[in-house]
Amino acid sequence: MTKGMRKYFKKKIFWFIITFIAALILNFLLPRLMPGDPVNAIVGKSISPGATQEQVQEQIAFYKHQFGLDKNLVGQFFDFVKNAFNGTFGVSYSQYPRLVSDIIGSGIWWTIALQLPAILVGWILGNLLGAVAAYKRGIWDKVLMPVSLFFSAIPAFGAAVILLVVFAVNLGWAPVNGAYDPGMIPNFSWSFIASVIAHYQLPFWSIVLISIGGQAVGMRSMSIYELNADYVKYSRFLGIKDTKIVRYVFRNAMLPQVTGLAMSIGSMVGGALVAETIFSYPGLGMTMYSAITQSDYPVISATTLIITIMVLLASFALDIIYAFIDPRVKAAQFD
Amino acid sequence: MKSTLRNIFHSPRFMVGFIIFMVMVLTVLIYPYFITRDPLVSLGKGFLEPGTYFSIYDANNASTYRMELPEATMNRLETSLPLADRQLILDFLKAKGADLSDLDTSNDKVGELIEAWTANYDEADVKASKYEGFTTQAKRRALARLNTKLSSSASSDVMTITRGDGEEATTSSISDTDYARVDQVANAITLPLGTDNFGRDTLTELVKATGVSLIIGLIAGSIATLLGLLVGLLAGYIGGIVDDILMFIANIFTVIPGFVLLILIYYSVGQESRGVVTCAVVIGLTSWVWTARSVRSQVISLRNRDHVNLSKLSGHSLFRIVTTDILPYIASYVVMAFILQVSSGILAEAQLSLLGLGPKTTDVPTLGLMMNWAKLFGAYTSSNAWWAYFPVILVIALTSFSLNLMNTGLDQVFNPTLRD
Amino acid sequence: MAKKMLEVRQLTTKYITRHGEDVYSVDHVSLDIEEGKSLGIAGESGCGKSTLALSLMGYYFPPLHYTSGDIIVDGKNISGLDPDVVRKTVLGSDVAYIPQAAMNALNPTRKVGKFIEDVIRAHELPMDSKQIREMAEQRFALLGLPVEALDKYSVELSGGMRQRVVIAVSTILNPKVLIADEPSSALDVTSQKMVIKMMKDMMAQGLVKSMIFITHELPLLYNVTDDIMVMYAGQIVERGSAHEMVFDPIHPYSRGLMNSILVPEEGTRDVKLTAIPGTPPNLKHPPAGCRFADRCRYATNACKFNQMPIIDIGGGRQYRCGMSVEQLREVYASEN
Repeated sequence: MTKGMRKYFKKKIFWFIITFIAALILNFLLPRLMPGDPVNAIVGKSISPGATQEQVQEQIAFYKHQFGLDKNLVGQFFDFVKNAFNGTFGVSYSQYPRLVSDIIGSGIWWTIALQLPAILVGWILGNLLGAVAAYKRGIWDKVLMPVSLFFSAIPAFGAAVILLVVFAVNLGWAPVNGAYDPGMIPNFSWSFIASVIAHYQLPFWSIVLISIGGQAVGMRSMSIYELNADYVKYSRFLGIKDTKIVRYVFRNAMLPQVTGLAMSIGSMVGGALVAETIFSYPGLGMTMYSAITQSDYPVISATTLIITIMVLLASFALDIIYAFIDPRVKAAQFD
Repeated sequence: MKSTLRNIFHSPRFMVGFIIFMVMVLTVLIYPYFITRDPLVSLGKGFLEPGTYFSIYDANNASTYRMELPEATMNRLETSLPLADRQLILDFLKAKGADLSDLDTSNDKVGELIEAWTANYDEADVKASKYEGFTTQAKRRALARLNTKLSSSASSDVMTITRGDGEEATTSSISDTDYARVDQVANAITLPLGTDNFGRDTLTELVKATGVSLIIGLIAGSIATLLGLLVGLLAGYIGGIVDDILMFIANIFTVIPGFVLLILIYYSVGQESRGVVTCAVVIGLTSWVWTARSVRSQVISLRNRDHVNLSKLSGHSLFRIVTTDILPYIASYVVMAFILQVSSGILAEAQLSLLGLGPKTTDVPTLGLMMNWAKLFGAYTSSNAWWAYFPVILVIALTSFSLNLMNTGLDQVFNPTLRD
Repeated sequence: MAKKMLEVRQLTTKYITRHGEDVYSVDHVSLDIEEGKSLGIAGESGCGKSTLALSLMGYYFPPLHYTSGDIIVDGKNISGLDPDVVRKTVLGSDVAYIPQAAMNALNPTRKVGKFIEDVIRAHELPMDSKQIREMAEQRFALLGLPVEALDKYSVELSGGMRQRVVIAVSTILNPKVLIADEPSSALDVTSQKMVIKMMKDMMAQGLVKSMIFITHELPLLYNVTDDIMVMYAGQIVERGSAHEMVFDPIHPYSRGLMNSILVPEEGTRDVKLTAIPGTPPNLKHPPAGCRFADRCRYATNACKFNQMPIIDIGGGRQYRCGMSVEQLREVYASEN
């Protein structure tokens, strides 16, 4: 490690920690600025109609104490941090007395299983298309580019709705919503797995379709930029084969595209929100959505915290990976 | 400057995008002069299919014209011959052993079905109970009734209408050759895109919603671009601690994805105060980050150029250096960033509204609210009312598409290496 | 008579624009260079110098296209060969190229040593990685370049070093003709000197058998090359020895070009500095007559309609003008 490298990483880690603390505070504070008292809502639901005013007050005080809402904001913040570090994230308000970690644990795997393959497939297909469009130019480029520009202009929810209507409602090829047949209990039987796969198709392809367009457009302009670079001409005049030069070009064009991949993996929970709500897919996006509508602070804070940590880790990992794999970045960062 | 403008308007991409966008803007501006009714007024109940609707009541009072359309009978049968009757014809033909291979019972095939019927039906044979399955009296009668119905619909028919009751009742008759002109029917309305779940004219609503969404996009885009430009200029030009602090704020905005932040802030604003403008402002306030970053990196590369140094040496003020020596060089970039911000502002509103976090207003529709209503009232699934959401998706896609096209067109003009 | 390393006969190449128009930016150019000699090519920007450099490689890709003429390298005519044969047997080994923008000429994500390996592999020479590495190290040492540079990416090298590395890479296969397109224009004075010295040394050591050096900086040519050729609007307008061209230019354009710079030598002190007004013609629609007529202060009406032939006056001296050498010299003398 050179001196420049050490300095670079020290600076990165410093900002990483500062950003993390600021994000932690924001994650705590923002949901608590939302209007509506969650305790009143819970008590309103659970108490019998004939209860006296004292009983109601007693119940409210009970829940307030349970949730630590009788403490001041600083006290609540330390509870929040403590719960975040012991991994439980506290007790859910809307599904009392379920632990937040339990609610999130049941959603996060659906999200990861849905998003990760979809993001990867979309990224690979999009980059291939973009590279081909840039290299072939001519007809490929003329037809493909406007088409992928148009596809990338379709909003994520639009694509999801169209897929839903065409394939689930009209053709009946796939189920309309959920992650598996509602009559089933999750287990490892073939029929359950088949049901999961059937329910998986539409949300999966809706995410793939959307990411293809954007990636293809980006990869094409990166590739064209690289194809026009001076080193391409020079390599040609040294007698290097075109196939080899194309490999140079696409490697160089691909490196910046890695950013997009890492960032969409990092922000996949937020990205899942739309597809999951349209298809009622029981992932973290849905969890977060219903928590918002029910003012369930601990769940909102936990989900946004997870998103924050994932994005933070993704961008930190990117900084480090790039510094090693891309000499252009290395030269710019370490001097 | 002049030649740049000329180049821009010679770029096919830019022009296609520009024309699509202008057509939409002009439609939004001109449409209300032709259709003056409130876009949110409820005309009927529930989803009505696209088409021209007219009052049957008023049609009776309109002047009548005698017309004999050659296909009139067939058309009438096509829309009114019950499925049971069609099945009966098929059963009969089967019993008689006729070739059924290319007959089906769908509307547009009714003609062939009736042809086959007239070719094969023979009253005497039926009466003689010649056909298997049609030997009972009831079955034979059914066939006879059907035959009468089919042959009588070919001859003229008269319908009698009674108004009022008792002594004052008057009657009038309508023959099947009486026609009314749609223009003369007192109440007729063409709904090219039908109605939504509240019975509101979808097209009028869509035009209004497009206008409102464009305004949201413009406000959000302006705020995001101005804020991004300001932060980028300050961070890039002043550098040092100012740069560190501003980029730290920008980092936080990246780490908590804009959309999540948007939901949180938006929710904390409170349901009551969530109007269209609030919505646009909040979107603008959460989406300035990438503009700021790009402006910053461009300003950093400009900061040490000779002309800037010369300006500094001449003792020009910060304001003057920024406005005369830096801004002109990033102007083209800022225009492009603005276009993208408008487009993503429109999308952000649509996504928020779709999640039920849209502007809480019953005064105006937005594209996102229309999507949300379609979702809530089962337009995708139970009602299968494509007209309530598909045109909305199309308008959103066309807006982003046209803005993106304009942007790539500009990009090709400003960064010639991308040129074909 | 020494062996001719490069002989070019009536070479014509064209650009095809996006709108399908032909632009002949190298128009019936003939030239030759003997072994051990160097030729400088001068002219304003846009006069076809760089296109000539690209055209001489015998390897064309759009928008540049070969039209007619011969390129003979060391007795071998390369102009009619299959592109892949040219790539394998000519490029880099017979004819080598140093690009104008050497700063970005190296692939930013490939180490210099690896890139040299790619170059040698492309010519299918019977060498393994170790031998290539040894050869590269020896060459770098010979040229006074640090061997560590082989393990660096181009972005890690300074501008001057990058340029010298590019020259070393270009000449790794000992080319018969080296074509250098403004190899030193973007450098600071010290680096410029080092680059020039390096190229002269390579010629002296016989690593490079002949050289074409393209630049708009005439004083450089005077110090570097044996001969100088001046191009205008895709054509040769004059050729002669470096000394003759600087001190006794015949063609009005050459004269204007030489006069617009100051050569720091005895005898040039009182030469007037006169820039040439105007710009080179658009080659989409070349003038009917002499291409320089519009900017020439001596042009007659006839010049605008008659194409001028190139005239050889012996001693390797050629010029393209309607007036005789004596007439021109007289006119110039009357002006001073």
